Amino acid sequence: MSTEIPSTGENDVAATPFGLLAEFETVEALVRAAERVRDEGYTRWDSYAPFAVHGLDEAMGLDRTGLPRIVFLAGLTGCIFGLVLQWWTNGVNYPFVISGKPLFGLPVAIPIAFEMTILFAAFGALLGMLGLNGLPRLHHPLFKSERFRRATTDRFFIAIEASDPIFDAQDTRRLLEDVGSVAVEEVEA
Amino acid sequence: MSEPAVDVSGLDNTWDDPTQRAPLILGGHDLASVTDAIAGIVERPQPPKAWWIAFSIASLGTITLFAMVAYLLWVGIGVWGVMIPVGWGFAIVNFVFWVGIGHAGTLISAILFLLRQKWRTSINRFAEAMTIFAVVCAGLFPAIHVGRAWFAYWLFPIPNQMRMWPNFRSPLLWDVFAVSTYATVSLLFWYMGMIPDLATLRDRARTKLRQIVYGVLALGWRASNRHWHRFEMAYLLLAALATPLVLSVHSVVSFDFAVAILPGWHSTLFPPYFVAGAIFSGFAMVLTVIIPARQYFGLKEVITIRHLENMAKILLATGLMVAISYATEFFMAWYSGNPFESFALLNRALGPYAWAFAIMITCNVIVPQVFWFRSMRRNLWVLWIGSILVNVGMWFERFVIVVSSLSRDFLPSSWGYYKPTAVDLLTLAGSFGLFFTLFLLFLRFLPMVGIAEVKSVMPQAHLDLGEHAGQGDYHGEISYQHVYPYVEKEEDDS
Amino acid sequence: MSSMSQTTSGPRYWRSLDDLAQTPEFQEMVGREFPGEIWESIPPATRRQFLKVMGASIALAGLTACRWPAEEIVPFAHRPKGSDPGVPKQYATVMELGGAAQGLLVTSYDGRPIKVEGNPNHPDSLGAASAFAQAAILGIYDPDRSRSLVHRQQGQEFAKTWADFKAFAAEHFATYQKRRGRGLAVLAEPSSSPTLARLRARLLEAFPEAVWAEHTPCANTSEPEGVARLFGRRLRPVLHLDRARVVACFAADPIYDHPSALRHARGYAQARRPEAGEQMMRLYAAEPTYSLTGGIADERVAVAPSALPALILALVRELTSVHGLSLDGVDAATLSRAVPPAGSERFVRLLARDLAANRGRALLVAGAGAAAEVHVLVQALNAALGCVGTTVDYIADPDAESPAPESIAGLTRSLRAGQVSTLIILGGNPVYDAPADLGLAKLLDGVPTSIHLSGYKDETSRRCTWHVPAAHFLEAWGDARSWDGTLSVAQPLIEPLYDGRSAIELVATILGDDLANGYDLVRATMRGMAPAGAGFEQLWHDSLNNGVVAETASEPVRTSPRPAAVGAAIAAAAAPPAQAGQTGLELQLVPDRKVYDGRFANSGWLQELPDPITKVTWDNALLLSVADAGRLGVKTDDLVRVEAAGAHVELPAYVLPGQADGVATVSLGYGREAAGVVGDSVGANTYRLRTTAAPHVVMGARLTPTGRQHKLACTQDHHAIDAVGFEARVHRLPELVRETTLDSYLADPEVIQHEAHHAPLFSLWKERTYEGDQWGMAIDLNSCIGCNACVIACQAENNIPVVGREQVINGREMQWIRVDRYFRGEPETASMSFQPVPCMQCEDAPCEEVCPVAATQHTADGLNAMVYNRCVGTRYCSNNCPYKVRRFNFFNYHEHVSGVQKMMYNPDVTVRSRGVMEKCTYCIQRIEEARITAKKEGRPIRNGEIVTACQQTCPSQAIVFGNLNDSESEVAKLRENNRAYAMLAELNVRPRTHYLARLRNPGGPAAAENKETA
Repeated sequence: MSTEIPSTGENDVAATPFGLLAEFETVEALVRAAERVRDEGYTRWDSYAPFAVHGLDEAMGLDRTGLPRIVFLAGLTGCIFGLVLQWWTNGVNYPFVISGKPLFGLPVAIPIAFEMTILFAAFGALLGMLGLNGLPRLHHPLFKSERFRRATTDRFFIAIEASDPIFDAQDTRRLLEDVGSVAVEEVEA
Repeated sequence: MSEPAVDVSGLDNTWDDPTQRAPLILGGHDLASVTDAIAGIVERPQPPKAWWIAFSIASLGTITLFAMVAYLLWVGIGVWGVMIPVGWGFAIVNFVFWVGIGHAGTLISAILFLLRQKWRTSINRFAEAMTIFAVVCAGLFPAIHVGRAWFAYWLFPIPNQMRMWPNFRSPLLWDVFAVSTYATVSLLFWYMGMIPDLATLRDRARTKLRQIVYGVLALGWRASNRHWHRFEMAYLLLAALATPLVLSVHSVVSFDFAVAILPGWHSTLFPPYFVAGAIFSGFAMVLTVIIPARQYFGLKEVITIRHLENMAKILLATGLMVAISYATEFFMAWYSGNPFESFALLNRALGPYAWAFAIMITCNVIVPQVFWFRSMRRNLWVLWIGSILVNVGMWFERFVIVVSSLSRDFLPSSWGYYKPTAVDLLTLAGSFGLFFTLFLLFLRFLPMVGIAEVKSVMPQAHLDLGEHAGQGDYHGEISYQHVYPYVEKEEDDS
Repeated sequence: MSSMSQTTSGPRYWRSLDDLAQTPEFQEMVGREFPGEIWESIPPATRRQFLKVMGASIALAGLTACRWPAEEIVPFAHRPKGSDPGVPKQYATVMELGGAAQGLLVTSYDGRPIKVEGNPNHPDSLGAASAFAQAAILGIYDPDRSRSLVHRQQGQEFAKTWADFKAFAAEHFATYQKRRGRGLAVLAEPSSSPTLARLRARLLEAFPEAVWAEHTPCANTSEPEGVARLFGRRLRPVLHLDRARVVACFAADPIYDHPSALRHARGYAQARRPEAGEQMMRLYAAEPTYSLTGGIADERVAVAPSALPALILALVRELTSVHGLSLDGVDAATLSRAVPPAGSERFVRLLARDLAANRGRALLVAGAGAAAEVHVLVQALNAALGCVGTTVDYIADPDAESPAPESIAGLTRSLRAGQVSTLIILGGNPVYDAPADLGLAKLLDGVPTSIHLSGYKDETSRRCTWHVPAAHFLEAWGDARSWDGTLSVAQPLIEPLYDGRSAIELVATILGDDLANGYDLVRATMRGMAPAGAGFEQLWHDSLNNGVVAETASEPVRTSPRPAAVGAAIAAAAAPPAQAGQTGLELQLVPDRKVYDGRFANSGWLQELPDPITKVTWDNALLLSVADAGRLGVKTDDLVRVEAAGAHVELPAYVLPGQADGVATVSLGYGREAAGVVGDSVGANTYRLRTTAAPHVVMGARLTPTGRQHKLACTQDHHAIDAVGFEARVHRLPELVRETTLDSYLADPEVIQHEAHHAPLFSLWKERTYEGDQWGMAIDLNSCIGCNACVIACQAENNIPVVGREQVINGREMQWIRVDRYFRGEPETASMSFQPVPCMQCEDAPCEEVCPVAATQHTADGLNAMVYNRCVGTRYCSNNCPYKVRRFNFFNYHEHVSGVQKMMYNPDVTVRSRGVMEKCTYCIQRIEEARITAKKEGRPIRNGEIVTACQQTCPSQAIVFGNLNDSESEVAKLRENNRAYAMLAELNVRPRTHYLARLRNPGGPAAAENKETA
């Protein structure tokens, strides 16, 4: 069921909008809608939820992120850095005799190499995630929508961007209306 | 207090009926009301009176701490009780104690996460915050305990005018790396988990200032599912990284002792022993802090008796591990046949510091046994006092290990007896002040429960999957590992 | 928060703040910006001299700027000549203590004396120096020293100059000349100085009716008396321990408390070397309380002073009746009634046996505490055993010909009679240390003119009308004789810092000499004694150069004991002890091992030097036997009220194993009121209990516990030991401090190696090899007498700070080398073991691996170096040091060291700041100096070229340092010795310092097992 809502579309056709935003009340509705949008073949669109919704990834047809590779490489770098740091400083650059021990020994080097691995990998994970997500980005057209504020509380949205090749103001609006949205609005760029 | 009116009778989710999974969130919350319940605390113009009282006491402690540190730096380490042979006293004891406390947070977040323990969602934010603040307190002590604190930076491999590097063969240096890594990673973990909630606060903000501040902190998070997807992965990876890290940190801390040749320190048992102790004390501290917090901020439905009971069970388990470690130490001392070793342990139990040993055993081994009884686990007072006693016991464990071993080592001629000075005591008290100050600020300005995470374990968060209804869910489950019935249905149609 | 408050005041660490706060010195310090800073308080003249003294550019500035421009003093020949700035030189001089000289070599750095060592040429030093002599460096720069003359009139003080005094003296003593010196009296310290003797003669010639009295509190008066009785002449026994095979000491401490102690210690060590192949000396000691000699004795018995005569009698009887020794004058009847005191039967039997078996190679010694008759019998036995000429020589008392001086008792008699109108006190502090019954202080107030020459404005100065600052012995010319009569010239190392004069200069001034300076006076004396015709200047030069005047040792005199004297002595000894049957304990008053008779009370080094036996610092304790303590119900640290001789003192008790029952021992020299900032009101003044009649032992002392406590600052056994710790100590001791009996050693030379067994040692990595010079040390526990000389030597050499009583109680003493003392056996018969512990310089040093900033690392020559300016002070190294030889600067202990005191620092050693760890590094500055010299001369470092401070001063040469890779070096040889062992070898830290096990030489089957006590 879709309630009629005053569309703001007409009065600013001239301006190229960012796209259309549809609001849903339940996870159920969101997921079903997402599947439809996916099957329609839209590419430049996204769905929004206050928490990670499961099944939504398939519903949107997202493929696995490459984040793990980034993290692995970061970790590897950290490990090597840790080992080289210890070997070069104590073994090469400024060697000193300590308790008659060898200048560099692997067992002794392990704790720090390990910590470095974790440290680098952790940064890889956070920065990698932000990077791939294009964050931080403090301004976004969607923030102009009053309605969208609830995306972080209790509402679910789907936004299809005007820049999508198969985007059509009317068809897309119709589609969004009959996938069980409670409201559809145009968001200006 | 914006406490939704619900009858407390409905607050019981502690049954153990396998056919029916107990809900983790009570009080009939929906997505909006749970948000209100948690975010409301931060948005409230005035915190409860209790907060003000607690805060003034805590900040008094903080001031004391800084006064003591200033005095120490001005006059010298001599203002403490440390001497020869006992070169390490309260400072190191406090350090190990606080690092231990700092373990529960990441542990709950990471390990319980990987173990798919859904109930963690209500307490992990809280515990993570605790970790950060505990590590802050811990980090302070190694810095001020050195004789020339202004040169403490020499412990880091920074190129300097001496063209000289630190000694990477020293356990103390491993410590520097371990603790600083741990602090950093915990901070990242904590902050990352908080980004969606900061966005929530931003979007709920009524004042421009809040909107800007939370907006910036949220980095422009807009709940996009494409973002959620990577966020989930990043969170999972961080959890996977943090887990071995948690275990490593206290292992490395224990190396400070285990690598030395001092009888009573020189023991291969230390790493697991210290980690178990850390988890033990960490959970105890979570309980100590969370019980009053949920009381005063009306989160009884979010942090339920079931959560507390689970933690009580962990206390019991880790307490037993610690007890076994104590026993093992004595056994090994006897079994090794090393006279110095066996004396160190004998002296620990019967020597001049027997009193400290007695406190340690009472608090760490005897007290937790009450948690065998469900009635005790559910009695908030028992739980709270029990957790405090465990904290006391764990502090004394470190005291016993550090001081009693040092006070009597190899040559009887150089035995001594360490007595803390007033400065030692005030510094310890002050560190608690700092901890609680930071904590109360956290409660006031940041969501103390992971809103997004809690939502994800609420029935509303889920497709109606029949018999699975209302089970809640958790992050980290990479969804394409699962096949949803309706998806199959779709395929049947096509 | 006591440790907090201490840091707020100037010399905070000297004493508890409460004590300090009351003293005027403290009030004054608080007023000043820099406590202890002395600039503004010095008269301009002196200040200018300071600048000269401290101007490091001119070598010997202090001397070229002297009042004696013409003079020249001569560097010790073993040092390069020339006066390059920054190159330390050594000058020979002597220190006189108790009327005998100790030869010294003083290191002068750009005109500042910075280190005192022994003079190898001097018979009573042989290269060693006592702790007292070495602490003179701290003494000369003591800011509390008197800086000006004071004239006191109607209780008001007026600062005066020497000119004023000269003027006063001229007209004042002119009047006495007319009166032939009636009413004039001099109270001097006994001195062996020929110059002073000469001036005394001149004075008595100018003032025939003047009285010349002498007093020093801790002189051994009973020995000269005993010897005089026996031989009818004033003779002086010179002992040769090195030639003795049996030595018996009766309440005597020849290796420590004797003018020749250093020589005796050397002789002892020589006679104890099993490697020498000769029969090893056996040492017997019968004494009321532990002395160092008792500590190293093979057979020791604790006897009360009153039982000593009986013991001697029993010995004489055993010798004469059983071993057929013939002793003239013996009255068999009296002797037959002699029975050894309870518990000493075995001792007497064994001793008699050994003495009889070693005729001509035995030696008996009695101490100051023993009655004259004991001395008579002891010397008589020496003679009867044919030891005269071998182990003991008798020489004529150097000033035997001059008239015997009046005693202080005699002087006070004439004071009381009002016969003295002018009293000149040449040094000493009689008001403080004269027998209490004389009431000298009161009498002194009655004397119209009293002149006190003293280094400090002390108790006596405060009661005299004139105070005249005395020059420190390192500031003045003088001369003195060693115990065997050898003459030495004392040459000054520096111009008097505070415009002080020496005793001879004062006397000369009084005699109205215009050339009243020490240089001329001493030269005049020497000229008088020099063999006619011989080149005097050459003699003078050589004497200064070598520190001794050639061929001046007195010749032994041939003499024979007088039977009558022996008989009388036996009768006296057989008579029931004085005040027999009196209740209460015998209170023994002995000179203190830290501050002697109190004259060193203001020396921080000595105050903080742990007593060799009790390890107590900064206090004098009441030593009680275990049984007596139990009877009184007191423990160590309990305050006890001691009543004796009509006076009472409160002292903290110290329960000492091996203390004779019924005897309480206290040391003198504490409780000073005008010693200075350091020494004031430390400990209790036990002179109050001392009377002319009973100077050494007071009978019938009553002890009553006060119920209060006074914590003694001990550097060992900081707190009472519990059962667990006690057991552990008992088990560890035999392995840590190894010893065995001579017999078992001879039976199996490897016995020491078998005393400890541990698992085979192997390393996880390939042990590195050590090429080139590799330094190592060996400490022979069989020679060590525990005298603490090494501790002070190290303190002086390495600029080690003094931390004060509180900090010692807190376990923060700083000495780099310590002498551990352990007791073995049952409390009553406990034997003692000493073990000096410096840094072991482990090859696999556990301290190094734990330092995060590599502030302690290994040098190429195998030292465990400490990089002070890299240290951040984690104290981890100390925690991980199994020997606990590292010391930490908990405060900035040099913060309040005054300008003068800073002159004593050794410029070759860094002064460590607060927050830094420090420790022994085998005197690395000396190693480096030798390395540089060797390098300049293009040669390897010679064997024995490097001598560490502790090794240099060790009287018994127990410490040996050298290159382990040089098979010729003594240390390398000692490493191979079958007595050598490494302490805690099982830890595989591979210490570079090894110990040589001690060999005990018991007279018979030892009853005492190797069990350790208290």
